[in-house]
Amino acid sequence: MGRILIVDDTLFMRTLLKNILFTGGHSIVGEAGDGDEAIEKYKELKPDLVTMDVVMPKMNGIEALKAIKGIDPNAKVIMCTAVGQEQMVKLAIKSGARGYVVKPFQAPKVLEEIKNVLGS
Amino acid sequence: MVSKIDISQDQLQIMDPINATVPFKSVIDLEEKKKILFITVKGSPETVYRLVTVPKAMQVLKRMIIMSCSAYRLSAYFMSPAIRGGVLVTDAQWEKGAVAVLKTGIWFVSQNKQVCVPLSEVAGIELTQRDIQKKQLDVIKIDHLENTEVVTSFVLCPVSTLQVLLNFLKDATKEMDMKGDELDPVSAQVGMLVYSGMDSHAIENMLNIPHNELDAIVDKLLKLGLVEVMFTRREVQLTPKGVRFISDAVKPPTP
Repeated sequence: MGRILIVDDTLFMRTLLKNILFTGGHSIVGEAGDGDEAIEKYKELKPDLVTMDVVMPKMNGIEALKAIKGIDPNAKVIMCTAVGQEQMVKLAIKSGARGYVVKPFQAPKVLEEIKNVLGS
Repeated sequence: MVSKIDISQDQLQIMDPINATVPFKSVIDLEEKKKILFITVKGSPETVYRLVTVPKAMQVLKRMIIMSCSAYRLSAYFMSPAIRGGVLVTDAQWEKGAVAVLKTGIWFVSQNKQVCVPLSEVAGIELTQRDIQKKQLDVIKIDHLENTEVVTSFVLCPVSTLQVLLNFLKDATKEMDMKGDELDPVSAQVGMLVYSGMDSHAIENMLNIPHNELDAIVDKLLKLGLVEVMFTRREVQLTPKGVRFISDAVKPPTP
């Protein structure tokens, strides 16, 4: 089970992800509401995995992903985005994302994806 | 009933004890539910054969029926599943084949894959664009249910046929359309949490709403046909008899 950092600008999505991950036996080591905060929290907490929203204020998820990969090339980041932003997938994968989740999502599949990425 | 079947170029023969010949051209509908193939043959009345066989034979049979039966077929590329439960299927690929439109659903067919999408399971249809070989191309995005999983598939074909398919799907599933103003924001959030698999206890905690408010929202969602009751959970409290039983049960045993 992993130590996970949740990055999303909406409290609702953070709470939902927290609930899903908690029921999957993971521990939530921190939360961030934008890309800048995500980078700071990553340095401080060194999580096993990050779930990263794409569209966020200040710094978006792709930029934050690149920065985190710059700090730790082995960082495991799963991107989360809304329906209709799938064109970001290639960019995210190219930037080092290990997985991609499209909102709305279903808990069992998200947990399966997190398990796969943590085990990779 | 167990019976041998013989699949030839243009027909299916079902041996003893059924003894039936089903020319593929006479098939007017084909549906697959929980690995059972429902073959509807024209006639008065129509005959429906329910068939289960080994995966290899099933694959051949499905492909032959779909390519020969009475259906609207168009050459297309499809990707199914592309997204499953919100998670991108990383090894998903475009398959070259056909899309067949039948009475109760559509089929994506290629040499190795046959995917049945019953119209009753179509949750969303949208014309969107995908980056394919460095070109932005129009595709149809179809969200459909496979058991309880929401699956997204894409269809790519020439624009004229794409529009025909889109119109057909929209028309065939129009009773599922909503105006968009039926739900207030909290009810929509409840809907989203149900989608994600949260139970009522988790929803109450997450949205910080009391049980009776959630009940009223669920009633609204039920009335709109957006949800269905899986089971009813009961909350109980102990009677005096129950309190006595529990109190006695935790006492240390007498020597």
